[in-house]
Amino acid sequence: MDLAQRMRIGALGAVAALLVSGCFGGRPAEGGSGGDGPIRIGVSLPLTGDFSEPGKGVQRGYEAWAKHVNDNGGLLGRQVELTVLDDQSNADRVAADYEKLINSDRVDLVFGPFSTRLVIPAAQVARDYGFLFVEPAGAAAEVFNQGFDNLFYAAPAVAQDHYDYLAEAIIAMPEATRPQTAAYAAMDDPFAQGTANGLKEKLAKAGVRTVVDEVYPPNTTDFGSIAAKIADSRADIVVGGTQYQDAVNLIVALRQLNYQPKLAAFSTAPTNPEFPEAIGAQTEGILSPTGYTPKADYPSNKEFVDFYTREHGAAPTEDEANAWTTGQVVAAAVNASGCADPSPECQRKLIDWLHGNEVQTVVGPLKWDSAGRPQGAHLIQQYVGGEIRIVLPADAKEAELVYPKPAW
Amino acid sequence: MSLVFQSLVLGVLMGGLYALLAAGLTLYFGVMRVVMIAHSAFLVLAAYLAWTFTVHTGLDPMLSLLVTVPLFFVLGVAVQRLLVARLRPATLTMMSVLLTFAVALVVEGMLGFVFSGTHRRIPLSYSGARLELFGASVALVKLIAFGLAVVTLVGLHVLLKVTRFGQALRATMQHREAARLLGVDTDRVAGFGFGLGLATAAVGGTALALDSTIYPSLHWHWIGPLMAIIVVGGLGSVAGAAVAALLLGVGQNLLQIPLGTTWAQTFFYAALFLTLILRPQGFFGGRLAQRF
Repeated sequence: MDLAQRMRIGALGAVAALLVSGCFGGRPAEGGSGGDGPIRIGVSLPLTGDFSEPGKGVQRGYEAWAKHVNDNGGLLGRQVELTVLDDQSNADRVAADYEKLINSDRVDLVFGPFSTRLVIPAAQVARDYGFLFVEPAGAAAEVFNQGFDNLFYAAPAVAQDHYDYLAEAIIAMPEATRPQTAAYAAMDDPFAQGTANGLKEKLAKAGVRTVVDEVYPPNTTDFGSIAAKIADSRADIVVGGTQYQDAVNLIVALRQLNYQPKLAAFSTAPTNPEFPEAIGAQTEGILSPTGYTPKADYPSNKEFVDFYTREHGAAPTEDEANAWTTGQVVAAAVNASGCADPSPECQRKLIDWLHGNEVQTVVGPLKWDSAGRPQGAHLIQQYVGGEIRIVLPADAKEAELVYPKPAW
Repeated sequence: MSLVFQSLVLGVLMGGLYALLAAGLTLYFGVMRVVMIAHSAFLVLAAYLAWTFTVHTGLDPMLSLLVTVPLFFVLGVAVQRLLVARLRPATLTMMSVLLTFAVALVVEGMLGFVFSGTHRRIPLSYSGARLELFGASVALVKLIAFGLAVVTLVGLHVLLKVTRFGQALRATMQHREAARLLGVDTDRVAGFGFGLGLATAAVGGTALALDSTIYPSLHWHWIGPLMAIIVVGGLGSVAGAAVAALLLGVGQNLLQIPLGTTWAQTFFYAALFLTLILRPQGFFGGRLAQRF
């Protein structure tokens, strides 16, 4: 048991003692909020700061899920109630938030925050208290190397595997047209970099030479010099391990240097509805992995898309879908275990159930390995004829992969 | 070789933009010893106003300057009169950090409230357009931003050197009490100096928005490098800030080739440390900072 854990348990003891002695008044110390009251679910999200945009998307997804559950009779016959705190995209704050949710707000369940950088400290707190921790946005390898047995990532694939179908398609190309060289630019962020590294390793093994391998800090504002390096290398393909604004700025900078690759793939940004607005007409041929599409015909997806579109007037994106999936996964465990309270016995039952079962969700059937890695891969989308369409894998495609990519 | 030349060109263009963005910061410090943490938040505010203007009117974002420059000047005078002037002179520099930090948070919060956290980019038909210059590509938007920087900085220089107001401002910078004895209304001049600084933020923010994706918290990424520039350039010296910005911009872009982006970014801070150790008054500025 390390020091931080001892201190947390010590703090828990102190809080319990205060509660027993009646200093806090109100709720009793044992039993949490069990019984017939609402099931209280705590979550901390980056509603301000660097991740505020996806953070708000996840919040919309969680709230839509809660409303949908309540409209349909609740969970175990009880209404669900969300408590959402703002961690300001700050890793110290997110840990304190989960401490507060579990200790002083005494929630029954917790949902994960957004971004790998916030998921790890949050999961640590959840583990210390024995809580089930299902999260919508921690896809990087680091998340699964920490020894969490209470964590489950509610999406089809981890970051390393996001470009898997693209790697297979490139490796399967005939020798004459197959790209020989590749340039990679990735944000120094475990998720973004993980996506690019996954593809880089697979292509390098297949003989595609890496000519640029650039990593930039998240606060990079000028992409001119990175673009200059890539343009100078004349790489056949360019791959971005990106979030949103960096991908947009990098693409524009590459265009300004008249670099015309045969294939351009960027994680995250191209599936964002703002992307074509930001890039203009030159999106044609740009590729992106995605864990979700509103068009997927999984049984619960249509219900989700209809409900969400009714509530918000627009179809959900990946952030909302991952949040909704988190809700579905936790709900499946709660329904199967028949409990939703903070007691270690109940939380253990929920965790054990998820380790042994598959859950049907809006992103497809999910099951996990012992570290919480989902066992799937991402779809690959491409801008074809001005619209973003699924091009890989073959059995899900809506359009043919365009290669080489038209000039941008 | 071509990569070196390309990086050099990009570095000069970037340095020009940095000089424009830092000019206001050095003015506030020069005139009032105010460390204006909120300067970059106002840059982002101007960028949002340019975006709003273009999205709603369909006109070029640079036309928004006709509105934002006078607006920011008035806003600057108001901020100085209503907030900064109330700080006690003895602790002005330190307290101004806290005050303007709060102003930055207010501006960021308002931007998030009004425009949401969605990342925005001005839709420009010429965002990818470029010129060829001795084998290097020069993006049209970067060239326009550089042009705006040159015009603004030369204008500022002329204003400070030639006009009566400029003389009064420089006198206030050099010795406030002596200027007051000679009949300069230093309070008024200080207000105008602050307004002038914020007016440069209107131009800088618009130049920034031509080639950048903007979002409310973007200003935190800018304030560090801008502070480094004005310290290296010599606090209070517009010309010093311009020279420092150019050197640092070019240096960062060239270092990026062998070192990569992460290490190249530390160049600004390495320069800051070296300046503070070797020449705390700055390498290109006047004697101002010696007193601090």
